[in-house]
Amino acid sequence: MKFRKDAVPNPEPNASRDELREIAEAVSLYRSAMHHIADREAARPFVADRRPGHTIGFRFLLAPVLTAIVAAGIFVPIYNHLHHHNSRPVVRAAANQLEASATLANVDDTVLMNQIDSQLSEDVPDALRPLADLSDQPTTHNSVSEKKNVTQE
Amino acid sequence: MEEIAANELAIEKREQAVLELADFDEVVRVYRPRILRFLLSSLAERDAAEALTQECFLKAWSARHQFRGDSSLSTWLTRIAVNLMRDHLRSRSLRFWQKTRGSALDVMDISDWVPDGRSSPESLAVARQRVASVWRSVENLSAQQRTVFVLRFVEEMELDEIASSIGMNLSTVKSHLYRALAIIRERMGETK
Repeated sequence: MKFRKDAVPNPEPNASRDELREIAEAVSLYRSAMHHIADREAARPFVADRRPGHTIGFRFLLAPVLTAIVAAGIFVPIYNHLHHHNSRPVVRAAANQLEASATLANVDDTVLMNQIDSQLSEDVPDALRPLADLSDQPTTHNSVSEKKNVTQE
Repeated sequence: MEEIAANELAIEKREQAVLELADFDEVVRVYRPRILRFLLSSLAERDAAEALTQECFLKAWSARHQFRGDSSLSTWLTRIAVNLMRDHLRSRSLRFWQKTRGSALDVMDISDWVPDGRSSPESLAVARQRVASVWRSVENLSAQQRTVFVLRFVEEMELDEIASSIGMNLSTVKSHLYRALAIIRERMGETK
């Protein structure tokens, strides 16, 4: 099967053809420029490392420092998170223990306070009580002894 | 009979390759500008292009016994250069804190050079602008598109030779080239 040449539509209008021609020319100029620059560079003596020495030293210093900073930035939050997460039960247990001991202390204190209160609220012995005790004693003994003294006189 | 002829041809190619590689100084003298040009066009960095060109010939010297002459010497050297460039680009992306563009080619370096013989200053200015536009467009291509574009339009290699150099099949090379040209065309249209 053959296509008739005149049956094939023109794929590119004139504007596109001009555009393609411009691109082709630009690419050709670019090639010439690259050839020129490469020839110039090839003619230059090559120096292995044109960078100053302190740049390399700085780089060698900077790389570990940056690595350490990045590592610290990653691992410290992770460590903190894990540490915080693991220490939570311990903290909770400690809090419970403190609470329990506080309750116990409250109970103990209550008992003690009650005891003290009960002791204090007991009838305070009267200041005259010793005398009252004495007056309570039977007087017969005294009267007898008095009588004895009288008879002896 | 055909098999014998093919074997003889292979042996002849190998002998020719060995002979060509025997005078390595001559190999460097002939092919160094081409490899440097390819690397310079692809990387746009003078120092990196120089260093990789030297490394390319060092590798070629070390592996010269492995060259069987299946492809041309130019294709073989281009393949080494392409592999070195890939490694370089990969390591450069990892060493993101380094200032790697210290010896970068500037667009002015490129556009300032336009062959004489322009009829007027206006046409010279237009030509410079076009070269700068192509340069910027090529810089923004992907690595593979740029490699294919440079090998085709700067090194003027055939498509099958490009495919052999960069280890792609012919249709992939055509696809990269088509896309690269479409992007350049689009960008040049924008800058008008």
